[in-house]
Amino acid sequence: MSRTTSYPQTMPPTRPEIASDGPKASPTRWTQLATSADHKDISRILIAASFGSIFLAALQLLLMRLQLAVPENVFLKGVTFDRLLSVYGETAIFLVALPLVIGLLYYVVPLQIGSRTTAVPRVGQIGLWLFIFGGILLYGSFLFTPPEAGINPLPPFSDATFTPNNGVDVWIGSTGLITLGLLMIAIDLLATLHNLRAPGMAWRRAPLFTWAGAIVTWLFIVIAPIFLAAISMLLIDRLYDGGFFAGDAGGSPILWQHFSYLFFTGVYMAVSITFLAAIGEIIQTFTGRQVHRKAVIWSFVAIAIIGTLAWTQNMLTAPLPSGWKYFGMLMSLALIVPFGLIFYNLISTVSSSDFHMRAPLRFALGALSLASIGLAAEIAQSTIAVATQLSETYDAWAATHFTLIGFVVFGGFAAVTYWYPKMTGHELNEDRAAKSFGLMFAGTLIAVLPLFAAGVAGQVTDSYRYFAYEDFQVYNVIAAIGTLILFVGVILAVGNLVKSRTEEPAATPDPYRGDSLEWLALSPPPAHNFDVLPDVRSTRPMRDIREAVIRRDTETAEAEGAAQPVA
Amino acid sequence: MIPALLPRSRKPVSLFISLAGVFTAFALNASPAMALSLNPDAASPGIKDSNTLHWILFVVIVAVIVVVNLAILRAARPRTRAVSPRPGRKVSQVRLAIGLGVFALALFVVATIFSDKSREIPAVNSVPVAGQVKGEPLEITATGQQWLWRFNYPDGAFSYRRLIVPAGVTVQLDLVSTDVIHGWNVPELTGKAQAVPGETNTIYFRADDPGTYTNRSSVFSGQGYDTMEIEVQVVPPAEYEAAIIELKRDIQRAQDKVELEFKLSQKQAEVGEVAGKKMKAEINKVDIESADSE
Repeated sequence: MSRTTSYPQTMPPTRPEIASDGPKASPTRWTQLATSADHKDISRILIAASFGSIFLAALQLLLMRLQLAVPENVFLKGVTFDRLLSVYGETAIFLVALPLVIGLLYYVVPLQIGSRTTAVPRVGQIGLWLFIFGGILLYGSFLFTPPEAGINPLPPFSDATFTPNNGVDVWIGSTGLITLGLLMIAIDLLATLHNLRAPGMAWRRAPLFTWAGAIVTWLFIVIAPIFLAAISMLLIDRLYDGGFFAGDAGGSPILWQHFSYLFFTGVYMAVSITFLAAIGEIIQTFTGRQVHRKAVIWSFVAIAIIGTLAWTQNMLTAPLPSGWKYFGMLMSLALIVPFGLIFYNLISTVSSSDFHMRAPLRFALGALSLASIGLAAEIAQSTIAVATQLSETYDAWAATHFTLIGFVVFGGFAAVTYWYPKMTGHELNEDRAAKSFGLMFAGTLIAVLPLFAAGVAGQVTDSYRYFAYEDFQVYNVIAAIGTLILFVGVILAVGNLVKSRTEEPAATPDPYRGDSLEWLALSPPPAHNFDVLPDVRSTRPMRDIREAVIRRDTETAEAEGAAQPVA
Repeated sequence: MIPALLPRSRKPVSLFISLAGVFTAFALNASPAMALSLNPDAASPGIKDSNTLHWILFVVIVAVIVVVNLAILRAARPRTRAVSPRPGRKVSQVRLAIGLGVFALALFVVATIFSDKSREIPAVNSVPVAGQVKGEPLEITATGQQWLWRFNYPDGAFSYRRLIVPAGVTVQLDLVSTDVIHGWNVPELTGKAQAVPGETNTIYFRADDPGTYTNRSSVFSGQGYDTMEIEVQVVPPAEYEAAIIELKRDIQRAQDKVELEFKLSQKQAEVGEVAGKKMKAEINKVDIESADSE
């Protein structure tokens, strides 16, 4: 402990005084929020947009499931269903998953590394507004023609010849703006990570979530330009008679599948890494133990590289040379190693320690449970012989939805409830959170488990109806009921987040006795995050500070006790 | 409010309720056999290997899910007494990684063996049917178009929507498309494969027993996607040849009918022209006569 003796000198006062009044505040809260280049304001808008979009995505999913609950249903027209499906896919990926990933990282990581700002805040601000306009473009298109070419608009179907209306152009424009915006925020975050770490915050001492931030932003900087290039090519094909994806003009429709699946697989991996890291932080805080950092961080790196290289796993039915298919199979099966290591380390840390079950931990364990079902089911989707049977059916849909609902919705609620006191300055209502968790968990299982059976029975995705003789109804009825329960649960959980801001008592800066530096800042943090920064000497700087405070207090008490003669 | 009705308990009640609900619903299903039948009836040798692999993977997947979730439930159990601060058996991360790697590699080897077997070209050992080169598979081209499949048999016959194949004969199916990507989807015989414009996706199968398999395309292709059916009719070779002759006759008949109608319409047009000229002449004559009379 001799190394930590210098702490009392660099330690912040227990009640930090604000050094100055700061810049003059803008007239209203809204103009301040809208014009702010502060990473916390930008992230709060991104996270709020993401939770608003979870509601929209759940509503779209509910409408589609109601349509499919009855064979040959006439509740929705075919074209309405296609539009709902396309918009649902884009909402789930580009308006729920990605902004939640980037928003959480952009909020928490600068605080965790003890930075007072981000490296290039204006770049982040531009990114936010590109994202907002992308979202407005997508939902504004409901006034005209929303996209209707499916979740992944495969050319030549998405080419102007076969989808002449502007739906696909809207898809290209909105996904492009959103991807570009989030890419700029990721660049800002990466610059911050490499340049603005607090003294002593070496990479080997960086928290798990910071590592996830570094890996995910690097991954995003690799995959996002590929996607931006691909959609630009599609736009040229559509508007200016290009031939990138036209088989008869020297291009190939397969090329689009390579580009788009590379991006979507990378996003899947980015989502997995981010929320596994958030779950790791939650588990570390509530159990008071550290996971095996080296194993978990190297597993994140492995997931980012191997997982993204497994993109041909989505193309096992396409006319590809066999080598590509076996490569995709090998890479996706190799993912068993990093995912297995992470799951083992996270679960065994919980298993071997004492803890109080709080809302974030509940959501985190729920996320692990649901994601384990989806990831295990992907094993079958990864092998050529079985994928030719099951891909493009509801079995594949169910596997993807278990993983993504597990990570994005449950992991997202876990992360947001965990950092909720930090972000809003208020406690979260635990009772309501536990109830909404129960509804959401039950709803997800009921909504998605029967779809495995529907997929094995042969129900193909993307079709707005099936026929009575096909005998799929029972699975779809159960799924519709489950989706309804999930929808109610999501509304209650989001409502709890909104309500707790006004109803619950104010939170202290460090409500859980966390280990990383974000708990040093006030709740909510001021614009400059920290008044005083410590020298970071270990992977658990906040614990060092708490220990130093206790030591100083006892030393002071002893000194006072020694000064006074004992009566 | 619904949440008020939920019991407050530390046990994972929602998990048990939802699982019980799903399994009860399955048990009440009119055809529980369908929920349990993991695979389509394998009617081609390759599909039998696919099904075997799926059974192996099904057991592996269920085992993984059960083990992981039991571990999570055990980890989340309510603590009635303090967990001993002494950490349990230390597990080496490297050994764990090697173990998982061996598991993944074993799965890859098993999956590769069965995938190779399922992609093998079934042996050609039957008497060749009409249009088949001896020792070579019977080559049929399936063309996807919005929203119909067209099948071109050797020696000129073709059919729409319904593919007729001889039982016991190895078929080479060349999948092509004239417009957008279509999903060939007959799980009982071939599994799925994309028909991509500009490329040929070749798959092989051998249907051993007569039967009819009805399925739908599996890649979204637009508004008529839900009606894009595929029907594969497997018939004995003699019936296949008869059916092909019938198809050709139908095509010839349709061709004859079209030609006949064309000729008829041409004749009618000619007749009309002649009659028209006659009428015109008569009208002119009447006009001239009337002009003369005035």
